Amino acid sequence: MSKALQIALGIITSIGGFLEIGSVVTAAQAGAAFGYQLLWAILLGVLCLIFLVEMSGRLAAVSKHTIVDAMRERFGFPFFSIVLLGIVLVAFLVLVAELGGIGLSLQILTGIGFPWWAIPVSFGVWALMWKGTFSLIENGASLLGLFTIAFVVAAVKLHPDGASTAHGLLPTFPGEDKAKYGFTAVSILGASISPYLMYFYSSGAIEDEWDESYIPINRFIATFGMSFGGLLSMAVLVAAALALQPKGIDVDKFEQAALLMTTALPKWGFYLFGIAMLFACLGAALEISLAIAYFFAQGLGWNWSENLQPSKDARFSFVYTIIIFLAAIPLVMGVDPIKVTLMGMALTAATLPLAIVPFLFLMNDPIYLGEHRNGWISNSVVAIVILISFVLAVVSIPLQVLGS
Amino acid sequence: MILKRPLVVPLLVIAACKSPTPAEQMDSVISWLGTAGMVGDAWLRHTTPDKYTRQTLELSHDTLLQIADDLLKSPPSGIDTASLDSVLTRSRGRVAQMARLVEAKDAPGFSTQLDSLRADQKIVKRFSDGIESRQ
Repeated sequence: MSKALQIALGIITSIGGFLEIGSVVTAAQAGAAFGYQLLWAILLGVLCLIFLVEMSGRLAAVSKHTIVDAMRERFGFPFFSIVLLGIVLVAFLVLVAELGGIGLSLQILTGIGFPWWAIPVSFGVWALMWKGTFSLIENGASLLGLFTIAFVVAAVKLHPDGASTAHGLLPTFPGEDKAKYGFTAVSILGASISPYLMYFYSSGAIEDEWDESYIPINRFIATFGMSFGGLLSMAVLVAAALALQPKGIDVDKFEQAALLMTTALPKWGFYLFGIAMLFACLGAALEISLAIAYFFAQGLGWNWSENLQPSKDARFSFVYTIIIFLAAIPLVMGVDPIKVTLMGMALTAATLPLAIVPFLFLMNDPIYLGEHRNGWISNSVVAIVILISFVLAVVSIPLQVLGS
Repeated sequence: MILKRPLVVPLLVIAACKSPTPAEQMDSVISWLGTAGMVGDAWLRHTTPDKYTRQTLELSHDTLLQIADDLLKSPPSGIDTASLDSVLTRSRGRVAQMARLVEAKDAPGFSTQLDSLRADQKIVKRFSDGIESRQ
């Protein structure tokens, strides 16, 4: 495959794989409650994500290590086990949310309640993991995720005001509902800067046998893929600001989010929303299941590859099998996936330092990166955004809990 | 002792959880009445399926019932509680009726209920503005 084609495919799959239940629900809530006022949080999250994804690919291409490999080797098992516990717990919550997102999409399309879908959906995700290859998961699911471009069409058709949109890209403080504003900003940052995406990306680079010649490709994919993906999130927020906020509708339930495109695209908006969310959540559920299995297998030194037969990496396959079916349990019991999503996104933001700080140390280590180690710009941008996310999370999560 | 602290802090946080304020409850009422109105509009345009429309209207009804129960247990001061109760009960009834009319595929009857719901929504909005201005 030519490099231009690889770049194009990489960017397209990044766009198709960008949205998931967390980014859609948090952006829709932000737009419905605060208009354009929280666009800056998406911008900040996407900027940080561009740097982190680029670093993940560069680490793999230069050192031939995944993040997890290198983390365990560099910091030792006791420290790694703490990171493992924190990251896997949060990633598990996000997996529950994504499986729930598939169930909720099927619920609005068929009328059959999401708890009934939990087991069939989990089985379907597991079967795709068991039978599929890495490129099927990376490209297939992400290409189907391109249905999410409908959000951009909807936002454009609602004719957003350019000046107000641009104003939303600058941080402002709300007059009221400060706790909710902070919590929503934290949830957006958590949804944008998902560590599982870095683990998935760096493992994918190893699966695809990247070397140093892939550094420019990696930079292109990270920059353009994530930027266009971020535009999708912004489109969701803008559509919610224009379609839901004037009617006073908050997005507390998925049924309310499903109305997002019915004003802009009266004929197909509802069905496009259901289908786009179905594929977006499916892609994310596959990526998170794989990222958790990679985390265990790479950290504990087991055989791992989504391209191997399950019998050749039995412990790796065992981890995703168990984790997918465990994630179905809360959904069968009727736990609301939207609540799990919001809590998952906020906790992701709160635990970012645990995942990112050791990663920054690795990215500055000449043993792994040689001349390709981080410059001051990458270090500063990532460190500042992570600090902002962490402080916002520490302040707003207790306030939100106290307030509701 | 080291183990106790991480257990005590979340318990204190949970224990300190307070109910939403009357203004927040009124915002929720407006949000769910708006949801019922928007899904009703979409159904009349034949752009949402019957099952989704009915389920969303039922969800709106149930949520409105719960919010009204909580709100009227400790009503906000300076508000005509009987009138508020009356409009909330009436609009909830309309939402329930709309769900039944979806099942019967009675679009004209549905449209009439939707128009009345919009009128109730305006009254609820005035109550909400009144509560917010008192806070």
